[in-house]
This record gives sequence, structure tokens and C-alpha cells, in this order.
Amino acid sequence: MDFGLSEEQDLLQQSLRGYLGERVGLAAVRAVVEGESGHSRELIAGLAEQGVTGVMVAPEYGGSGLGLLDAAVVAEELGRAAAPISFHSGAVMAPLAIAALGGDAQKSRWLAAVAAGSSVVSVAFAPGFSAGGVWDDSVAYVPDATSADAFVLFVGTGAGAAAYLIPADEPGVSAAQLQAVDLTRRLGVLRFSSFEAEAAMRLAGGDAAQTASRVLQAGRVALAADALGAAERGLEAAVEYAKTRKQFGRVIASFQAVKHMCAETFAEVEPLRALLWYAAFAWDERYEDAHATAMLLKAYAGEAATQATTTCTQVFGGMGFTWECDMHLWFKRAGYDRQVLGGPTALRAEAAAIRLVAAPHATQRR
Amino acid sequence: MDLSFGPEYEKFRAQVREFLAARKGQAPSSSMSATGSGDDMRRILDWQKTLVEGGYVGRTIPREYGGAGAKPDLLESIIIDEEFHAARVHRGLANQGISMFVPTLLQYGSEQQKQAYVRPTILGEMVWCQGYSEPEAGSDLASLKTTARLDGDDYVINGQKIWTSTAAEADMMFALVRTDPDAAKHQGISYITLSMDTPGLEVRPLKTMIGSSSFNEVFFDDVRVPRNNLIGEPGQGWEVGRATLMHERNMLGNTTQTETMLQNCTDVLAEAGVLGDPTYRDRLMKLDARVKAMKYHSLRLLTDTLKGRHPGAAVMITKLNGCQLNHDISALAIDAMGERGLLTRGSELVRDQGAWQAQYMFTLGLIIGGGTAQIQKNIISERGLGMPREPKPAA
Ligand SMILES: Cc1cc2nc3c(=O)[nH]c(=O)nc-3n(C[C@H](O)[C@H](O)[C@H](O)COP(=O)(O)OP(=O)(O)OC[C@H]3O[C@@H](n4cnc5c(N)ncnc54)[C@H](O)[C@@H]3O)c2cc1C
Repeated sequence: MDFGLSEEQDLLQQSLRGYLGERVGLAAVRAVVEGESGHSRELIAGLAEQGVTGVMVAPEYGGSGLGLLDAAVVAEELGRAAAPISFHSGAVMAPLAIAALGGDAQKSRWLAAVAAGSSVVSVAFAPGFSAGGVWDDSVAYVPDATSADAFVLFVGTGAGAAAYLIPADEPGVSAAQLQAVDLTRRLGVLRFSSFEAEAAMRLAGGDAAQTASRVLQAGRVALAADALGAAERGLEAAVEYAKTRKQFGRVIASFQAVKHMCAETFAEVEPLRALLWYAAFAWDERYEDAHATAMLLKAYAGEAATQATTTCTQVFGGMGFTWECDMHLWFKRAGYDRQVLGGPTALRAEAAAIRLVAAPHATQRR
Repeated sequence: MDLSFGPEYEKFRAQVREFLAARKGQAPSSSMSATGSGDDMRRILDWQKTLVEGGYVGRTIPREYGGAGAKPDLLESIIIDEEFHAARVHRGLANQGISMFVPTLLQYGSEQQKQAYVRPTILGEMVWCQGYSEPEAGSDLASLKTTARLDGDDYVINGQKIWTSTAAEADMMFALVRTDPDAAKHQGISYITLSMDTPGLEVRPLKTMIGSSSFNEVFFDDVRVPRNNLIGEPGQGWEVGRATLMHERNMLGNTTQTETMLQNCTDVLAEAGVLGDPTYRDRLMKLDARVKAMKYHSLRLLTDTLKGRHPGAAVMITKLNGCQLNHDISALAIDAMGERGLLTRGSELVRDQGAWQAQYMFTLGLIIGGGTAQIQKNIISERGLGMPREPKPAA
């Protein structure tokens, strides 16, 4: 028994933090995100070399074959760095879905490319689409819609659920970018016109509905980790700034109102770390409470991180409201993490439906 | 991360279950607090004895002082907490003697002092109160004025303490007194123990907002205490006293009973017919996430401690968050009960003898006691985040 990160995970965190600090500094981030596509293959290839994109991909496809807890460690660092990569979809949900449901050809084509950083695969949930048939429809809020090379598409619900892996360059598939606040992870609309998915595109190797749900929870945990990273880095920046900015003849960090803003933020955010570790581990170990915990975690993380970055923006005063100040990168990062894949209130309602129906006393473990 | 329990631990779990099955009937209800009536108090003390004998309290305290002498073991303590929680059984006293004084004594006390005090204290036979606060020294504790003047082999104490919890029931007090009036503020303080029967000592109960008298004023008029009652050296009191305060904050922020409290709160919501209401569900789930987070947070801190790592600022949020969480859970239960939530002990229509209202107010007291929420935020920002102290006002 040991409640905490392993030595390997500590190392992973340190080496990634070092790499991001040196190679993906905020100036580099800005250079990418202020461009039209908001996307840099070079940056993704560099992250892939650090094992970021292949963290959950099996070693036979060139990945590290690690679990969601390891992915959470990575996601937290990416959130801290505001790195322009849709990690939760491209490196968590997509490879999980392909590994769970894909045939050999699909796996060797796409998993290896994801791990190598040469392809980006995105994930979309389209419960309104039907399995089979011709699609003349669209699905919105798809990460990397205009930059991905392929999409995992979960369609239908329950017994009618199915999953597909659709290359972006198929005829009848098009994408447009949505203009959303977080420039570090773009969202878009994926359109299908007179599109009939071929049998070869089907991810047919398992239960699509169950996989969709499990993949979705993993994505939520990864977003929560990102939110934790954004919040903690935002707080560090605010504390640092407060120690240097002077008003009334003293540094503003010596004003109690400012100190208490920072202390409250810390007290709000810090417990997330242990909850994140547990939620990710519970998912890895398939504990009974894994799904409800993932939802409660993401709801808490989304709220805590938006609150944290809102407060920290105020610590910077007028500077905090500028484009030049980096705070808004984490502020928007937290906003994305909060809204995407279910907002706090909706997630708590979903968690309540599970937790209050199951014997409320059910133990935490299997 | 490894949350597995080996087979030897499943055996241990079976033992705990067996103990609980056999003894559960004697346990006080988990909503009874040590602030309740005398009957509650007696029942809690009897249960305490059972827990010490079973090795569930004072587990890691050396045998020669009355503990079970067990090695600190994260798994065992988790299993004990889990099983007590599942059975909804009172986890034992968490009072000033057991949770604050004993660990301080084990660190700073002489052999003779440990022999004399640890065993009766963990058994609940020797009840302690904490003589720190004074009318003019609350948050600014180091400005305390109660003096202890050396006279032969005795210290002679004069002054006043206030807000002294359980002073009326206590057998003993550990106190901070000024032994050197000429030394700097923090340096002239010593940590001393004394019997509440000592001549010259007078306890006057104060009625709390709950309506009971759980705290008191204590007056000292030439109270003579043997000089070897000092814990640590003369002038070391601030350091020793801070150790006690750290244990106090961990006790007050401890959330092992909080899961049980949330469980009971869920029952209240169900009974009040609001468990299907989206607004109540949302509040309940919010608290659920927080209770879980603090539970795993404490496991994280415990792991750090056992591995000899310093958790840094993470440990400083325990009191602030834990006390607020307990207060918020009580507030939800009271809201769900509507007007009924206002009723107090003895009233017609009352639920749980008004325990939720009592708890709602008691936990407010704990947000203030042991260092206020504002002081906790000062500590987090100054010692945790390294922000500078408030400049001293010009004299
Ligand atoms: C239920 C309960 C039980 C207690 N039991 C004991 C006991 O057994 N033994 C004992 O010795 N004491 C006990 N106390 C006393 C407790 O420790 C003090 O009440 C507490 O430390 C606050 O001191 P004070 O009452 O003098 O308030 P003050 O220090 O006067 O504080 C008043 C207000 O000012 C704020 N404040 C003060 N200084 C600062 C600052 N630097 N920055 C920001 N805000 C500040 C406080 O947060 C508070 O809101 C108990 C208190 C309670 C409520």
C-alpha cells in the first residue's frame, strides 16, 4: 500500500517539466496558438519523443503502455505549460478506443502513428448518428477537427451503439474550425455529406457502448488533470508576481487580502491532486466507483480551476486583463477543461444517478 | 500507487470486523460528541477503554506507556477507519489530551512524565484541558501574560486563561505561561502541566452559543506547581506549544468521521424526501467530491509521513478545509429538514436530539478555535507560499 506517485512517475513528471520549460515555453506556445491552425506538427513530434502521445499506447506499437495515472501526470504538466495539444482526445481517448475495439490493421496503422506523433487522431461522440446507413449530418465541438488525420466516432446508444475510425481525407468528410476562447486546443465541426462508412472503418472488436463510456471517463480524468496543472501554475505565477509588484510602498504579497486570495486558492486546488490520483488509479484498476469518481473529480476540478484562475487574474490587477499577461492562457485552459465532456452541474447529476442508486454504502474498492 | 491489501491484511480486516460485531452494541452513537450531556460523556469514556484494549486507540504508542506498540502501518489504519465507517461506529475520543498532549509528550516529555500521563490519558481516565488563550492573547497567542515565577522548587502561577474547553471536567491542564518576563515575546514562555485540584485555581464555566458550557475561564491566584512539571526546558514553551497546536490542527481537520457524517446527511435528505431534488443532489455531490478529496489528501499526507517526506504546504490546509467541510455538511442536513432543522434536544418532533444543529454550531466554533480560518490562511500564504508577513505597525 502506498498512496502517491511512484518513483517512475515522479521522474516522468520532472523530465517532462524540464522539457516543456526548455522547449515549449510560453513564448513558443504563443507562437503556435496565435497562428491560424493553432497546431504544430513539429511540437507534437517533439512531445511524442518525450513519450507524451504514446503514454497509453501498447509497447508493440511503439508506446509506453502505461495507465491513466501516468497519463494524468502528463496531462497535469501539459496544463501547466498550456501546451497546444489535445492530449485528452489524441493521446488518451483515441488510443484507448482503437486498442479496445480496433482490428489488427487499424491498430498497426493508427496506434503506431499516434505514438510516433506522425498522426493525430481525434474522438467525437455522436449519439444521434445511426450505425450504418448514409450520414448527412454533423457533430460539433470536436477537438482538432481541422488538423486531425482521423476520427474515432462513437455513434448511437445502448444496443445501437457502434464505433468507427474514419480518415479525415475520405470523400464526404469535411471540417471547419469553431472560434473558441482556448486557442491552445481548437474545437471544430465535423461534417458528413452523403457519407457511408465502409465496413473497414468499423471499430468492431468489442462492445462499443461500454467502451465509449470507459473512454469518456478517461478523457474526463485527463481534462481534470489538465485543469489542476493550469490552476497550480496560474497560482504560482500570481504568487511570484505579488512578491515583486509594489504598491503603498510594499510588495502586494504582504497585503493580507492578497495573501488570503492565494491561500484560499491553494486550499481549494490542492486536495484535487489526491482525488485525481485516486480517480485515475480507480479507472486503471476498474474499481466499481471509478466512473462516479471521474465525474465528481472533473466537476470539482473544473470549478476549482476556473475559480483559481479568476482569482489569480485579479492578483495581477490591470496587467491580468491584458493579452500580454500569461494568466489568460491558464484561465482559458481551465474554461475549456470545465466545459468540454460535461460541465460541473451535469456531471454531478450523472454521478448522483450512479451513487444514490447503488447502495450508498458500497465500499470504495471491488 | 498501490492500494492492494495482501492476504495478511485481509486477516487483520476480519479481526477488526469480529471486534466490531462483538462490541458494536456498547459504542456511543457517532453523532454524540464530547460536548453532549454527562451520560454521553460516560458512554464515550467506556467505549474508549474498549478501543484501547482492542488496540484501536493509541495503536502506535509504545507498550510501556499503555499503547499497543504497533508499527505505524498505513494499511492497518485505513482498514480500521474503513471498517469503523462501514459499521458506523464511533472511532474513539479525539480530545486535547489524547490527540494533542500525548503526541507532544512523546516528543518532548521526560521518561517520568510519559510514564505518569500517557496511559491514563489514552484510556480517557485522565482528562486534559488546554490553557493557552487569554483575554488579551488569542490569535496573537505569544502575547500571553499569565506568569509563573520560580519560588524554591515550585512555580507560582498568576493570571487568567479563557475559552478553556472541558476545564470543568478536566483532571489536568497543560498550559503556556510566561516564566521570564524580561525575555523577548516568544522566548519567555514555558509549557507546564498542573492538576486542576491545585489550590488557588478557579474554573468559571462560560455558556457557549449552543447553550451548554463546554468552555470556561480559569483563574490562577498563587497556584503552586512543582518545577519538574515543565515539559521541555524553561523558555522552550513556544516550540513545545506549537507542536501541540500542529496536532490540534490535524485533529480538528481530521475527516475520518466526515464520511460517516455525509452518510448520515444522505439519510436525512432521503427521509426529508429531497434526495431526488436536483438542487439537493448537486449540493450533496459537491460535498461528496470534497469529502473524497480530503480523504485521499490525508492518505497522501500519511504516505509522505511514513516515507519521511515533508508534504510542505499541503499539510497546512487540513484544518481550514476539514472544519469547513464538517460545517457545510451539517448545513445541508439542516436545510433539508426545513423548520424541523431548528429543533433542539428535548423538543417534540426533534430528529437525532437536535444533533445537526448542535454540530452546525459546534463546527463553527472549531472554525474559530485552534487558530481561526484567517490565521490558517496567513499560515498557508506565509509559510506555505512564502509570501511576506504583514509589516509591524510603527509603535
Ligand atoms: C469552541 C472553542 C474552543 C476553544 N478551546 C480552547 C481551549 O481549549 N484552550 C485554549 O487555550 N483556547 C481555546 N479556544 C480559543 C481559541 O484558540 C481562540 O478563540 C482563537 O485562537 C481566536 O482568538 P480570539 O478569540 O482571541 O480572537 P481574536 O484573535 O481576537 O480574533 C478575532 C477575529 O480577528 C481575526 N484576526 C486576528 N488576528 C488576525 C490576523 N493576524 N490576521 C487576520 N485576521 C486576524 C480572527 O481571525 C478573528 O476573526 C477555543 C475557542 C473556541 C471557539
